[in-house]
Amino acid sequence: MSAQLKITNLHKRFGGLVAVKDVSFNLHPGEVVGLLGPNGSGKTTVMNMISGALTCDAGRVNVNGVDLTRMKPHRVAKHGVARTFQLVRPLPTLSVAENVLLSLAFGRKRHWGREARDLVEEKLAFVGLAGRGDEQVGNLTYIDQKRMEMARALASEPSLLLLDEWLAGLNPSELRIGIDLVQHLQGQGMTVLLVEHIMEAVRALCSRCIVMSAGEVIAEGPSAEVLDQPVVIKAYLGDDHA
Amino acid sequence: MTMKTSFAFALAGLALVVLALAPLVLPDYWTGVLLGMTGYVTLATAWALFSGPTRYVSLATVAFFGVGAYTVAVLNEVMPYPLVLLCAAGIGMTMALLVGLSTLRLAGVYFVIFTFGLAELVRQTVSWWEVNVTYTMGRYVFLPFEGRHIYWQLLVLAAVTLLISWAIGRSRIGLALKALGDDETVAAHAGVDVTRIKLLLFVISATIITLVGAIQAPRWTYIEPSIVFNPTVSFMTLIMALLGGAMRLWGPLVGAVPLFLLFEWLSVSFPDHFSIILGLLFILIVFVMPNGVLAKFDDLRKGNRA
Ligand SMILES: Nc1ncnc2c1ncn2[C@@H]1O[C@H](COP(=O)(O)OP(=O)(O)O)[C@@H](O)[C@H]1O
Ligand SMILES: [Mg+2]
Repeated sequence: MSAQLKITNLHKRFGGLVAVKDVSFNLHPGEVVGLLGPNGSGKTTVMNMISGALTCDAGRVNVNGVDLTRMKPHRVAKHGVARTFQLVRPLPTLSVAENVLLSLAFGRKRHWGREARDLVEEKLAFVGLAGRGDEQVGNLTYIDQKRMEMARALASEPSLLLLDEWLAGLNPSELRIGIDLVQHLQGQGMTVLLVEHIMEAVRALCSRCIVMSAGEVIAEGPSAEVLDQPVVIKAYLGDDHA
Repeated sequence: MTMKTSFAFALAGLALVVLALAPLVLPDYWTGVLLGMTGYVTLATAWALFSGPTRYVSLATVAFFGVGAYTVAVLNEVMPYPLVLLCAAGIGMTMALLVGLSTLRLAGVYFVIFTFGLAELVRQTVSWWEVNVTYTMGRYVFLPFEGRHIYWQLLVLAAVTLLISWAIGRSRIGLALKALGDDETVAAHAGVDVTRIKLLLFVISATIITLVGAIQAPRWTYIEPSIVFNPTVSFMTLIMALLGGAMRLWGPLVGAVPLFLLFEWLSVSFPDHFSIILGLLFILIVFVMPNGVLAKFDDLRKGNRA
């Protein structure tokens, strides 16, 4: 099986700080893979380099056999990569429907008009916001903003979805809903790279995990095995617990 | 097209006809007022085309306006008038392309300062050129136009500008503009080529502004840099659009009509204090109406932090 996302020797520094150091990993089609690690370990930076928000200093990013290294974000989006943001970023002057329409209009197939409106409703229904397209995003609750952001990401019809702590900040019942949604996507064959701190979600969703610490990959493998490795526990909890 | 849109179009068409017939019955003075007002309606609408949704506050209006007027002053005896207008549009477009490519990366206040500087730079360059290269201090525009001829041309340009604004507002480009005004990063990740769309709108806006200057040139007969590159034009355009609401189709028009009449009255009644009053009015509008139509500009470029 050929890899859908292939990252080789990615490297990124901010001034004197090496944020990502020689990171390589692959995602296969339909996989939901967890990208874990303590705060500041470089997870978001890796996602930014895949999605084109940041250019890497060295290394390569390849999606579906296309070299996306140093490509601008709008072109990466057209190659089937969509993302959400660690802190939700709704577009406040746009309605809920318009937020989603944007990705349809500028995504892979450039939908517009009646057909696009139907698709917007379809995406909203998928994330649980059916019939709420006319609302102002400012009036949405936190989880609904997260839902809307997911709908916006899905509206560009990606084959690879990057979720940066999409489940963070949800209460237990909302978390259940969120996990179900991702599982639903998984059922549809979506490939997902999931940055997540909530172990319940990771165990439920990810067949495989990649663990980073201080910019490097320190462990990789099936979730059940990786999460119990001393080196991973140490990275998360400090030396005392190893 | 829905019933509502058809009705709005019919109404706008009717208003256009009435406005076009007005000079036939009005005294010349009022035709002149209508002319100036139509000029500012066009300037404010064109300004808002780019600056409204993107929130890039441009003070370069008079740079393009003046270049349009100067193009007519230089070329009016060399080639037929329609060709002169075409040249002006071409020059404005080229200038906007160059300026846009080099400055649309600047954010917030840097862009404001740059555009203000640009207007001064263009004015100084034209002055220097005229004094040192062509040895002319000013130029005469001899075109057989009366006020109403100029007015009719401006009226057509105003209608076309509103039509462009309407069309963009309902196109995917309009959606992208609003989105990038909120958050350029999010827009880019949704697939919007942010740089290209900003450039496109800046060029359209600047070309229209250049044409306003070109069409109005014959009104002055005598033209020199201090007249056509007067920064007041940029400021007036800006406050008209802000007062009415730069994010709406009719906003700039709604702001331009009363403010133009007010300025007209002020410049006649208090010619010596006009600038001071203009400045005070500017401050008043910005400070007293923060929750009105200006609220949108309060968080100037707020959404664009990456
Ligand atoms: N744009 C930036 N400029 C400077 N430093 C940054 C920037 N983005 C991230 N960093 C730094 O890089 C390191 C990794 O950050 P990040 O990728 O956000 O970590 P994580 O998502 O794993 O919490 C951190 O030390 C962070 O402060
Ligand atoms: Mg992060």
